[in-house]
Amino acid sequence: MSDLLANLWMGFQVAGNPFNILFCLLGVLVGTLVGVLPGVGSVATIAMLLPITFGLPPVGALIMLAGIYYGAQYGGSTTSVLVNIPGEATSVITCLDGHQMARQGRAGPALSIAAIGSFFAGCVATVLVAALGAPLTGLALLFGPAEYFSLMVLGLIFAVVLAKGSVLKAVAMVLTGLLLSMIGSDLETGAGRMTFDIPELADGIGFANIAMGVFGFAEIIRNLELPAESREILKTKISGLMPSRQDLIDSSGAIARGTLIGSMVGILPGGGAVIASFAAYTFEKKLSKHPERFGRGAIEGVAAPESANNAAAQTSFIPLLTLGIPPNAVMALMVGAMTIHGIVPGPQVMTKQPELFWGMIASMWLGNLMLVVINLPLVGIWVSLLRVPYRLLFPSIIVFCCIGIYSINNSPFDVTIAATFGIIGYWLVKHDFEPAPLLLGFVLGPLMEENLRRAMLIARGDVTVFFTRPISAVLLSTAIILLIIAGLPKIRRRRDEVFVE
Amino acid sequence: MSEGVSSSPRGTRPGFSINTHNLIGGLIVTVLAALLLAWAFYVPNAVIPRFMSAALVLVGVAATIGLLPVHAPRDFYGGIALVMLPTLALIASAELPGQRGFAFGPGTAPRLFSFVLAALGAAVAIGGVFAEGPPIEKYKIRGPALVIIGILAFANMIRPVGLVPATFLTFMISILGSTEMRWIESLLMAAAMTAFCVFLFVYLLNLPFQLWPRF
Repeated sequence: MSDLLANLWMGFQVAGNPFNILFCLLGVLVGTLVGVLPGVGSVATIAMLLPITFGLPPVGALIMLAGIYYGAQYGGSTTSVLVNIPGEATSVITCLDGHQMARQGRAGPALSIAAIGSFFAGCVATVLVAALGAPLTGLALLFGPAEYFSLMVLGLIFAVVLAKGSVLKAVAMVLTGLLLSMIGSDLETGAGRMTFDIPELADGIGFANIAMGVFGFAEIIRNLELPAESREILKTKISGLMPSRQDLIDSSGAIARGTLIGSMVGILPGGGAVIASFAAYTFEKKLSKHPERFGRGAIEGVAAPESANNAAAQTSFIPLLTLGIPPNAVMALMVGAMTIHGIVPGPQVMTKQPELFWGMIASMWLGNLMLVVINLPLVGIWVSLLRVPYRLLFPSIIVFCCIGIYSINNSPFDVTIAATFGIIGYWLVKHDFEPAPLLLGFVLGPLMEENLRRAMLIARGDVTVFFTRPISAVLLSTAIILLIIAGLPKIRRRRDEVFVE
Repeated sequence: MSEGVSSSPRGTRPGFSINTHNLIGGLIVTVLAALLLAWAFYVPNAVIPRFMSAALVLVGVAATIGLLPVHAPRDFYGGIALVMLPTLALIASAELPGQRGFAFGPGTAPRLFSFVLAALGAAVAIGGVFAEGPPIEKYKIRGPALVIIGILAFANMIRPVGLVPATFLTFMISILGSTEMRWIESLLMAAAMTAFCVFLFVYLLNLPFQLWPRF
């Protein structure tokens, strides 16, 4: 316990450094901005801003990128409440009750309860990340290559089962990502693999190019197809930001339960904030004595999902920081960001770079505090930003992305690759394939291959090693059971229902 | 094109239900698979991909002439593409050395994952033959094409003409992809965005960009 406090204290010293506070502020501001703007996701933004973080010190860079992620969870709720368009996928469910509250003239309480709930969730999740960090890191040290490989399989399966859409197609996407990650030089022999004699491919495809293509460009192309949206911004003035005492009493339980659900879902590989918000809302509705109030402006319907998505956004850092395995697409980008700065994500981060680990955790708490303080007064500014029409927004995003990709390696070829993946991403959407598992597979690919090769070498080519080593066996059988459960017709229907709702 | 396959009810003359959608989709599959097949014969050591691409050609022909009823075209063509990709990967990695003793060679893992992906893709495609599914949404041409042309233009312009013209032109090309484009506000916004990017990337972040064409 005293260790934990000492570590947290060190973390706050790192995070309290004026420069790091500035980066944190910058991150949460940018995050709120992209959260507010519909059609600009946090994945694309983080990919876009990666090159900008090159010149920064690693701690500052990661603090900023993390800030973008949880900042976006805050910003998304603003758009949901005021415009009834989710700014982020995680705030889809907040539209239901949040916008109804706004129509009843209670936009202020809705926004502030979302902020308060998120702040509470952020505090709890920060403590959780700090508390679970050490024991999980200890566990990770017991892992050999076989266990690592099995763990990654389990993580990918989790990601697949919890994502929406067909499980089979999601697994296929993971494998597509794995296959794409093998383009380039072989890890051990240096032989060029599947490079088609194109010299630029010898180093492989940059993950930022893929992310920008399938999330950034494809998303834009997709949005252009939709008819011009009518963003009907609420005309009524937002009067009285503070929730009443009754509001606070009503929502306190929902906030606590939302935080709990969000924290648990966030830790699961493949979980993440979207599922957390859905789960929390559904749970709250089931639990309520008056379920009919939901969808008509129930404050619990705002409090629970908003707390849950923020909690999940933060606890999803746990598998990344302790085991080095990204549980969702945003965390996959964080792996890339860490690699760029020469940090190998995994258990060694905590022992070798404690100031980075604890500094990041402490910055999450500071970032949440900043969000509460800056978010409510700035609502007016965010709303006026929503008046920028998409027809002017999207070309701006495109040129920004182009310059960003080019500046990573000063390579025009990278821009071409990203354009190609834009087309591929558009095609994937047309055929109901989810791009997120592809990116996860791509990031985990080299790690998986390396561990698979080592495990096979150590076991002298014996494939059964994955089932004879106990930890590995448990992990793999969990993965198999999960796949079977997800394939059962009854569960499949429930899954579809959850995502349709 | 968009009426899709669902318009041909199941069971009524399943053998010869030719409709435009399958015709186009089937032809695309056939042509791509034939190209793969030709390539697989050109590359030595590619016996398995030869069989795979030959099978794909047959499937494509069957879909084209309506022998193969496709009930969920999104899944069917998606699955077929996910068989083509590993076939291509197998051809490309045909000459890489494989396993030696216990040790993986550089070609082992790509082949391993290719086979698994091909199996999954085939499963998705087979599902698309038997299960009912929505037709493929119509592809739009204007928006995607102009956005992609804009990005490619940037890739080809940034070195020879520098950041300022490349940014401005990319903005203008891609904004043409929107049906609500207005000239004056677009030109103003393009200029503003160019100025902003130059300020951010060149002056604030000190990245080495060439601003104007070099003569």
